[in-house]
Amino acid sequence: MSHATGARRTRHGVLHLASIAIAATVVVPIVFGVLGGFKDNGQLFSNPFGLPDPWLPGNYLDTLGSAAFWQQAGNSLTIAVASTALMVVVGAMAAYIFARFAFPGREALFMLFAIGLMFPFAVAILPLFVLLREMNLLNNPLGVVLPQAAFGLPITIVILRSFFRGIPGEVEESAVLDGCGPFRFFWRILLPMSRPALGTVSVLAVVGSWNNYLLPLIVFNDSRWWTLPLGVQQFQSQYSADTARILAYVTLAMLPSLVCYAFAERQLIGGLTSGIGKG
Amino acid sequence: MLTDERRPPPAPSRPPVEAAPRRRRPWPTVVAFLSPAVVLFALLVLTPIVVAAYGSFFNWNGFGAPTNFVGLENFRRLLADDIFAGDLSRALLLVVLSLGIQLPVSLALAMLLNQPLRGRRVYRMLFFAPYVLSEVVTAVLFTMIFSPNQGLANHLTRLIGLGDLGATWLADPDTVMYSLFLVISWKYFGFHTILYLAGRQSIPPELHDAAAIDGAGSWQAFRHITLPLLGPTIRISVFLSILGTIQLFDMVWVLTAGGPIRSSETLAVTMFQEGFKRFHVGYASAISMAIFLISLTFGLLYQRFVLRRDLEGAITTIGDRR
Amino acid sequence: MPSIRLSRRSLLALAGAGAAGAVLGGCSDDGESGSSRKIRWWHIANTDPMLSQWAAMARQFEAAHPGVKFEITPLENESFKTKLTTNIQAGDPPDIFHTWGGGVLFQQAEAGLVKDLTADVGGWRDTLIPTALDAYTTDGKIYASAVDTGMVGFWYNKELFDRAGVGEPPATWAEFLEAVRKLKAAKVTPIALAGKEKWPGHYYWAYLAMRAGGLDALRQAATDKNFEQPGFVAASARLAELVALQPFQTGFLAAGYSTADGQAATMGNGKAAIELMGQWAPVVQRDNSAGKKGLGDKLGFFPFPAVDGGSGKITDVFGGGGGFAVGKDAPPEAVEFLKFIAQPDNARIEAKTAGVLPVVAAAQDAVTDPGLKLVAGALSQSTGFQLYLDQAYAPAVGQQVNDSVAELLAGKASPEQVAKAITTAAKQG
Repeated sequence: MSHATGARRTRHGVLHLASIAIAATVVVPIVFGVLGGFKDNGQLFSNPFGLPDPWLPGNYLDTLGSAAFWQQAGNSLTIAVASTALMVVVGAMAAYIFARFAFPGREALFMLFAIGLMFPFAVAILPLFVLLREMNLLNNPLGVVLPQAAFGLPITIVILRSFFRGIPGEVEESAVLDGCGPFRFFWRILLPMSRPALGTVSVLAVVGSWNNYLLPLIVFNDSRWWTLPLGVQQFQSQYSADTARILAYVTLAMLPSLVCYAFAERQLIGGLTSGIGKG
Repeated sequence: MLTDERRPPPAPSRPPVEAAPRRRRPWPTVVAFLSPAVVLFALLVLTPIVVAAYGSFFNWNGFGAPTNFVGLENFRRLLADDIFAGDLSRALLLVVLSLGIQLPVSLALAMLLNQPLRGRRVYRMLFFAPYVLSEVVTAVLFTMIFSPNQGLANHLTRLIGLGDLGATWLADPDTVMYSLFLVISWKYFGFHTILYLAGRQSIPPELHDAAAIDGAGSWQAFRHITLPLLGPTIRISVFLSILGTIQLFDMVWVLTAGGPIRSSETLAVTMFQEGFKRFHVGYASAISMAIFLISLTFGLLYQRFVLRRDLEGAITTIGDRR
Repeated sequence: MPSIRLSRRSLLALAGAGAAGAVLGGCSDDGESGSSRKIRWWHIANTDPMLSQWAAMARQFEAAHPGVKFEITPLENESFKTKLTTNIQAGDPPDIFHTWGGGVLFQQAEAGLVKDLTADVGGWRDTLIPTALDAYTTDGKIYASAVDTGMVGFWYNKELFDRAGVGEPPATWAEFLEAVRKLKAAKVTPIALAGKEKWPGHYYWAYLAMRAGGLDALRQAATDKNFEQPGFVAASARLAELVALQPFQTGFLAAGYSTADGQAATMGNGKAAIELMGQWAPVVQRDNSAGKKGLGDKLGFFPFPAVDGGSGKITDVFGGGGGFAVGKDAPPEAVEFLKFIAQPDNARIEAKTAGVLPVVAAAQDAVTDPGLKLVAGALSQSTGFQLYLDQAYAPAVGQQVNDSVAELLAGKASPEQVAKAITTAAKQG
């Protein structure tokens, strides 16, 4: 017994060590960025690994004190939330139909949506720009929100349809018996039941939107609407000599997505792992 | 493609989908619920595909309407283009590296995270963190890390006793693809790890318990229980990985712009170079179409020969586990 | 522009999934620019002090012209090119935008996307230095207003030259190679080069072609679509000699120009002895160096050396400046504004703060930077001028020059291959 416990302890120790080693490798670039922001350029060169000595918060404070940074963060947030909400609602509605209604042409239509997966956004950029211009959506947050939602639809529909199909038909039957129309069933029962799956597609959408670079670049002329990736790019060229300052900006730019992920993490894994039994 | 024509017969515990309540008048509901998605999708996704397809038949510099119809000339030129061939072989290299290294490592990490370790939630979060970073941020960090003169990577090789390898990482046409692969793996392995972890956690514990009672070692249990049951998850992860490689753009564009001397160019980067730097918009449209058709062909073949029955259940086991 | 409207419509027609097309058609009227007095201005001075100076001039102009409202988009160089290309190809150029002139601008003009400014700019062309508008003029029509000018030449670190025992700046290519050898022997990195960005590399080849084959050969080659003439092959061969000496900094193939650890920083921090760069080099070196000090007095300038047996003159210069083009739908005030910034007082501000060589004759007195004065001196004695090849030629040809020279610099292409690749690109158009 004690032997077994000892073996398990060793095993655990090894696993712990392995995890720590891997985690360390993974976070090196991030920690490098975070610490680098507290150094000056001389320190960065002479002491790239160690802790800053002395710690210089100036670069962070400057960035936090700059209106442009907050504006970009706000824009990124607004656009991410709007794209995600639109994509999830529209996608869920379509997935509901694809999952639970039989009508001629359903599979062909579903196939059409799935084809969207095969046409990445960068490849569509030029025709897309022409369209947005015709729709008068340039320099308008909708010009980023709508395409992001549209390009996110295929994966959303594929994932949600498969989830919705797993919800037993009895649930819907009893809802119908209770006099629930399809609309109410969808809003009141299906969506709340599908929270894990919705969480998953939402996190993927938020991350995608938060990180999008090309679309905001071509849509926004006015820097008032710029998002963080554009800001980072601009900042990088503006302060090219000041590596430490760039690192501070980059660190702060990645912080919101890390924090958001930290909160959504349970939801995400939950969505991927749990079935409706737990949902 | 991701249709369900080949869906397995529904498990007895679940009522057949087609037996969902017969609607008296489904059409109004169908139309009401589908139309927003259809409009959005047709307008912003299908229209660009059609425009690109149309443009690919013209010799067109992007100014004004395309008028110089050249038929399949752009595609003929594409097939004879060394850069296109290079793009394909680089995509193949990345696919091989991803399937051979990145995904197995992700799988191993998922198994690790499945152990009852203290703090595994923290590890799980750390492993996934790179995935949420933007490509631009990643590029800034790694440009500095790989800087040949004062970069972290060369400091690191010295520190671990390899000495100064004088490695130029992204600056050498012979090593750039491997450096790029490092960055891509770093950024995206977490996504696959999470997929595997989800798949692993949906395997009923009773199976492993039974195996343990039968005296199976952990490797045997992994080999004969975990791996086969993870099949659907692995197949979908491979699918997404290959599709992502075919369509790879952002990370490469911000990190190397396809260089040095086009040695890390991908299909989408070539498309961008032709369309945005040389104003060969017709030719660039043909490359877009090629990317689309390659993805589509791959998707169809993969579904036909690999996914066969398990696609629905695999795309994360979200609904269809148990 | 009727042709453009047609294009939109045809794009829509083919896109025209019935309803979608109708919806689009309904809102495709030129709602935005056209008649409005909003001026969308894109420039590439995205760093201070010039960033604020341009903004201040725009505000002054707004104050003097009620109803005019500027929407200024300062962009980093590469982002600017991407964004402008998208807009231009969609037939929606900004009202005022930065241009380097040449084939790129003329292609835009040919498509009717930029205004013919012959009558307007012609009105104040007498206030400019003589060749100021050449890069923006084709068939006697002027398509942009010039702001600054300059030329490319070798900037060198005098201290490092002394350390390596290089006395006088080299006057011939053979001497230049010798200087590189001496620098290497003294353990000094001879040359800083931004290999990732390709355009700095093409300067070497362009100058060598000018020296070996002469200016006319460069022009003739574009017309004949033949870059396999002896002058070009000789240029590639000379450049290959330089490459064989391995003169560039470690990892130059991935180095940017004005990025951390890039070409300008390498020069500005005294880590390399020479760079071939335009008139802006001293400013960018300073901005990118540790402590923003730059090389100061240690920085020298010499013209590109002669090539033995070549037919080009050492006084022929290569380079260019920046100007502003006006989009087709811009309000008349956009042109007014170009006139406004060409006023001597404003040109002086540009010269002083941005460290550029103004094209306004009366503002020449504002040039105080010693490096710029050297450039101005060389320019004033020039016998011929060639615009950057990646601007002068059609975009596809210019890009091919950049790409092929990059291959040459990496030692991955022979002179014959370079000549052939550029010729092929020229023939394909």
